[in-house]
Amino acid sequence: MNSESTLVGRTRARPGAFGFLTDTTLCIGCKACEVACKQWNQLPMDDFGFTGMSYDNTGDLGATTWRHVAFIERVADRQGRRPTRLQPFQSHWLMLSDVCKHCVNAGCMEACPTGAIIRTEFDTVVIQQDVCNGCGYCVPACPFGVPALSPLDGKAHKCTLCYDRLKDGLEPACSKACPTDAIQFGPVHALMDRAKARVAELQAQGVDARIYGDEALGGTGGIGGLNAFFILTAPPEVYNLPAAPELPQRRVLPAFLTTALAALVLGVATLLSFWRTKEVRHG
Amino acid sequence: MPGLGARLGRGGATTTLASLAESDCIVIMGSNMAENHPVGFRFVVKARERGARIIHVDPRFSRTSALADLHVPIRPGSDLVFLGALVNYVLNSERWNSDPFFREYVLHYTNASVLVSPDFRDTEDLAGVFSGYDPQQHRYDPSSWQYAGRVQPLDGERWPCRPRIEPERDPTLQHPNCALQVVKRHFARYTPELVEQACGVPRDLFVEVADTILANSGRDRTTAFCYAVAWTQHTIGTQIISCCALLQLLLGNIGRPGGGILALRGHATIQGSTDIPTLFDLLPGYLKMPQAIPQHATLADYFAHERPATGLWYDMPKFLISLLKAWYGDAATPENDFAYEFLPKIGGDYSFQSILTMMKDGIIKGLFVMGMNPAVGGQNARLARQALANLDWLVVRDVHEIETASFWYDAPEVRSGEVRPQDIKTEVFFLPAAIAAEKDGTFTNTHRLVQWHDKAVDPPGDARSEAHFVFQLGQRLKELYAGDESPAGRQIAALTWDYPTVGPHQELDLMAVAREISGYRVSDGRPVAGFQELADDGSTACGCWIYSGIVTPEGEHRAKRRRGDDRASLDWGFAWPANRRILYNRASADPQGRPWSERKKWIWWDPEQQRWVGYDVPDFPASKPPDYQPPPGARGLEAHPGTAPFIMMLDGQGWLFVPRGLLDGPLPTHYEPWETPVTNPLYPAQPRSPVAPVFLRPDNPYHEIGDPRYPYVITTYRLTEHHTAGGMSRWVPWLAELQPAGFVELSPELARELGITTGDWVVVETARGCAEARALVTERVQPLVIAGRTVHVIGMPWHFGFGGLATGGIANELAALVKDPNSLIHEAKSFTCTIRKGRLQEGVVR
Amino acid sequence: MAELRRWQHRRAPGEPVSAETRESYYGLPVIHGPHWRWPIVFYFVLGGLAGGSAVLAAAARLVGGRWARSVVRIGRYLAFLAVLPGPLLLIVDLGRPERFHHMLRVVKLRSPMSVGVWGLVGFTASAFLNALWQAAEDGLLGRRGVVRCIRRLPDRGLAAMSLLPAFFLAGYTGVLLGATAVPLWARNALRLGPLFLCSALSSAAAALSLLVGSGPDVQRVRRALERVEQVALVGELALLEAVQRGSGDVVGRPITVGLEGRAYAGARASAGLALGLHLLARVVPRRCRTVLRVLAALVAFGGAFLLRAAMVFGGRCSAEDPRATFVMTRGERH
Repeated sequence: MNSESTLVGRTRARPGAFGFLTDTTLCIGCKACEVACKQWNQLPMDDFGFTGMSYDNTGDLGATTWRHVAFIERVADRQGRRPTRLQPFQSHWLMLSDVCKHCVNAGCMEACPTGAIIRTEFDTVVIQQDVCNGCGYCVPACPFGVPALSPLDGKAHKCTLCYDRLKDGLEPACSKACPTDAIQFGPVHALMDRAKARVAELQAQGVDARIYGDEALGGTGGIGGLNAFFILTAPPEVYNLPAAPELPQRRVLPAFLTTALAALVLGVATLLSFWRTKEVRHG
Repeated sequence: MPGLGARLGRGGATTTLASLAESDCIVIMGSNMAENHPVGFRFVVKARERGARIIHVDPRFSRTSALADLHVPIRPGSDLVFLGALVNYVLNSERWNSDPFFREYVLHYTNASVLVSPDFRDTEDLAGVFSGYDPQQHRYDPSSWQYAGRVQPLDGERWPCRPRIEPERDPTLQHPNCALQVVKRHFARYTPELVEQACGVPRDLFVEVADTILANSGRDRTTAFCYAVAWTQHTIGTQIISCCALLQLLLGNIGRPGGGILALRGHATIQGSTDIPTLFDLLPGYLKMPQAIPQHATLADYFAHERPATGLWYDMPKFLISLLKAWYGDAATPENDFAYEFLPKIGGDYSFQSILTMMKDGIIKGLFVMGMNPAVGGQNARLARQALANLDWLVVRDVHEIETASFWYDAPEVRSGEVRPQDIKTEVFFLPAAIAAEKDGTFTNTHRLVQWHDKAVDPPGDARSEAHFVFQLGQRLKELYAGDESPAGRQIAALTWDYPTVGPHQELDLMAVAREISGYRVSDGRPVAGFQELADDGSTACGCWIYSGIVTPEGEHRAKRRRGDDRASLDWGFAWPANRRILYNRASADPQGRPWSERKKWIWWDPEQQRWVGYDVPDFPASKPPDYQPPPGARGLEAHPGTAPFIMMLDGQGWLFVPRGLLDGPLPTHYEPWETPVTNPLYPAQPRSPVAPVFLRPDNPYHEIGDPRYPYVITTYRLTEHHTAGGMSRWVPWLAELQPAGFVELSPELARELGITTGDWVVVETARGCAEARALVTERVQPLVIAGRTVHVIGMPWHFGFGGLATGGIANELAALVKDPNSLIHEAKSFTCTIRKGRLQEGVVR
Repeated sequence: MAELRRWQHRRAPGEPVSAETRESYYGLPVIHGPHWRWPIVFYFVLGGLAGGSAVLAAAARLVGGRWARSVVRIGRYLAFLAVLPGPLLLIVDLGRPERFHHMLRVVKLRSPMSVGVWGLVGFTASAFLNALWQAAEDGLLGRRGVVRCIRRLPDRGLAAMSLLPAFFLAGYTGVLLGATAVPLWARNALRLGPLFLCSALSSAAAALSLLVGSGPDVQRVRRALERVEQVALVGELALLEAVQRGSGDVVGRPITVGLEGRAYAGARASAGLALGLHLLARVVPRRCRTVLRVLAALVAFGGAFLLRAAMVFGGRCSAEDPRATFVMTRGERH
């Protein structure tokens, strides 16, 4: 069991930051969050068709899908034997409602060359649609694969954590719609305390639970924690989440330095070359 | 829900969803609660967080199983064996026989001590049928099922009633003919071994379930059962449910917090539509619809046969006469039996399946379809569409152009050229309907809780509410029949149909309707406070006595209340009857009126106030002391002692043995589904229900038992993402994309045998028809070993059809017309089929 | 939709859907790949060419004598001409091209894209001035007063000033790729800048050596350019090898197999071949040398193109591969 490291629960979220705690152990995979999100934000249908990926016909977060429920079947062991005595809470058919993580240090935001991606007064990360010019650099800059360019309007889109609702004192549509409180909205620090208590409780019941989105797991590598974090009962990779992602911008300075070094070497070589090259004698 | 009604008194959930949070063990069986009742499931999750054990007994590992502690895969159609074995296990367990709680509860609160007529013969004695069976008519004469005892005719009544029976009792519960011993004998062969053999559930797993339930029932702990249509939709559905009621009575779980039976209704306000029914055989408030028989010729005749001498139903005249006053107003007078003659008298079975065949046979000429999609949702869907095609006229009111409105040009048989649209003579009228958010109104949810919803926006275009349509239709009928002196004309003319309208669309003023439903004094129109104020002399009017009091004398609609708390939340909406949340809650206290335990306190007798007090509204006369003993000749509720929680029942007790009210026997008996690959291990000579109504006709062929052409068991079900036959979801992009195509779920074991890969097209076939779908190969479905041989189960959601954005083969194409004799509900949860890889020649799916 | 269905072909009869989630989530990518395609490849090639040309022109102006004037002249023109399509290619690539100027709202030092835009602006300005000066010098602009003013600008100063943006333009694109979550790029974040720089210089040197044509000092010029090219090619070869080895089996898969893998191998072969041809040119008879050198220059230039294509499209493949992301983001506890 991952005892201490999973109970660290550290995030560098600012006081007053708001976020989500998505507790997979309470999730029943009803997808109300997906529908509520699309309805509130008036996002169009994606129509991926029948995928055969368990009950996941959404597949991924995208420009017009800001909540996505993943389904992972773990009913049988490799020999095909189905257990009947199950781990408490969700254990053999894992479901996770994925969403933008609203990173404390957000790769997409740092990458954005236009300043379209901003951090709001709620410490959430939002793409301003009137600024975004669709350069698409935020897309690969996100370690979690959240923002995406929409073919409909050419701009990058992702979860806004219902900025418009927060402004009016309402909770985001997805957490409002969640029937089992698997998605909880609130101040990040309070949610983190709740998550720690919940994980401890689950571990006491023998569940291999862990927080995904603190500085030990998921919010690693300079990301500084996630404002939208999760309680998982399996390694993050199972849910298609990276275990120890890194803030891509951490590599900017070192990369510029090696490039500068190379520039220096090549510059000297070039200068030398023009300085030292003697006239070629014919004959 | 006669299953609950026959044993407990009311055909409704005995408890509330919120009370589940206080359960110590929740058994979900015949239900995929997380998927189909996700909001209610929050209380199951809450209970789990408080340490309750969650047991899911289901053929498939569903989203409900994912959050359960135990998943018990069971063969569809074998539920009664499982429940019967639980009964047997409990009755022979050490705990049940040693803990005084159980004896006290069962002795006082059930009819365990009543002696059954010596003429009674059990299925165990008669190889699968009860005494009184008429093999020619396929029906029972229940006279041998009665109590042994004295029959006392009653007189001196304003309205007649049935004679009173003074049953003989054996308080020691040892008499071989006392109900408990009869039950015990009946279930003696329902052993863990039988469960293994018939259900495919390993013995030790069954024992674990039984021990868990037993350990979590008693003075200090309660177990709740949640079921839904996967118990209902069997030829023995009523008996499955009634067996659960029997078990819960034995375990002392009825009427107590965290206990009870939660009947999860099929969809929004289905409870409401049986309370104020759209059913052909009920009047509002579960009053029996008069039939065209001599016994119902006059109001007095009706009461003489339907009105009991004891129990709350003794007040039946108050309820029925108030109803007649509400409907016929001044035309209902004491002189004309309160216009009883205007009530239609039914002459046969007009349930859904029967009217389909009547339509096809040309007996029924016209049909209104509102909030239903029979072209997809009707069993033997092909027959259903043929029935629609044989009508003169068809009115479909829906929010989308559902298959029932488009079948004449879009159905598979039309697309294949087999049927030409010009040959269909049905004139189809499609009228746009308003959805819930576009109209005011109430929902009566699964635990009898009535909640008001406000209109958010006006419906678009010509879309109008059902209330608007029905009201307008009624007004036009009244105009049409003005001056008509035929019985029909007089009936329509007499009907009070004078509701005020509001708003630009002239929508019906639903508060006016609510006031009528709630009841009022005829003289001054003042609302009554509750059904206790209703009278049988025509001085009160009430549209539905169980909803009486929903509008307060001050004019407030209590369904609009929204103040919750951690207990009964009495100020959140209104629960019928009389805002009682847990029914039969007298049983939450011991016979002396004290709470069984501090932990399971709910209501109790306060000797100082001389009243029942507690968290809930007592489902009991509020000031009847626990030691009350009825004087000789007492009637109505006064005939019940202070220890009789089941106020609707004749004797105030929960019935272990059901002498009347069920058509297929006084005790639950396992019969195989009408179509099954295996035989009945208990009654090889009588494998199937002897009284299930069947439709023996060429367009509705059945499979023989063990027909090798149809070796697999198929079960149909629903998904969270869609709503019933899809009218409200398959056309909605946000929902359609989540489950965009029809599919079948099959086990890897079967898929390997048949070479089927996830995503492949497959064709599922029965003698009725075939349906095309995508394959989903999943370990969540598993083969079961039944009596030594492997039985494969196939699962198929029945939402899909040929219209809308999410399309797929129609599962009901496969199902047959066959039903439960009590509820007249079809059997769609278990029948047989075959499956092959490939596509239909003429694609059903676009 | 097609993207999701792509994974179906892996299914086998009777295999449960759970089998598809053992190694990854149904094989679906963890991250979103970039949308970049050919416009960006061309921009990278042209940017490298422009930056490299500017570097060579500046070096030639600063330390080369009069003999190197052809490099200065052609280098300046080439730098300017090569960079001109750059902004256009970038704008075409935007989802909302009409908002290209939003790039100039802010300066964000941690965003290579932002810095890059400003660098591109700076380079374009500097290349323009250098080219303008050169045009004035070459008499292409006539003899008007404005032209005299232009010629009064400090020529060596312009050349020196252009060095920094030139190197920047040639190398920042590697940093830009490295500062993403794309496994192939992230793994090679420190190598891509130098690699692109080497490639820029080698391709620019190759281009210039083809363009200097004939002149009195052409042999000397070519020798100088070849030296630069050879140094850059050696560096390029070493870095290509380092990228391949450093990526490992999983992350490096896109540059090992498939079309991208062939492009990468082609880039490596081109660099090696160009270097080999140069070496060969030293020992073969003189009349063959020119052919070999022209060939070497063409090969080097082609290699630069293949390299950009391999890295851009390889990055897209890399982003699609969940295993690569998992390798890159493996926590200590896994």
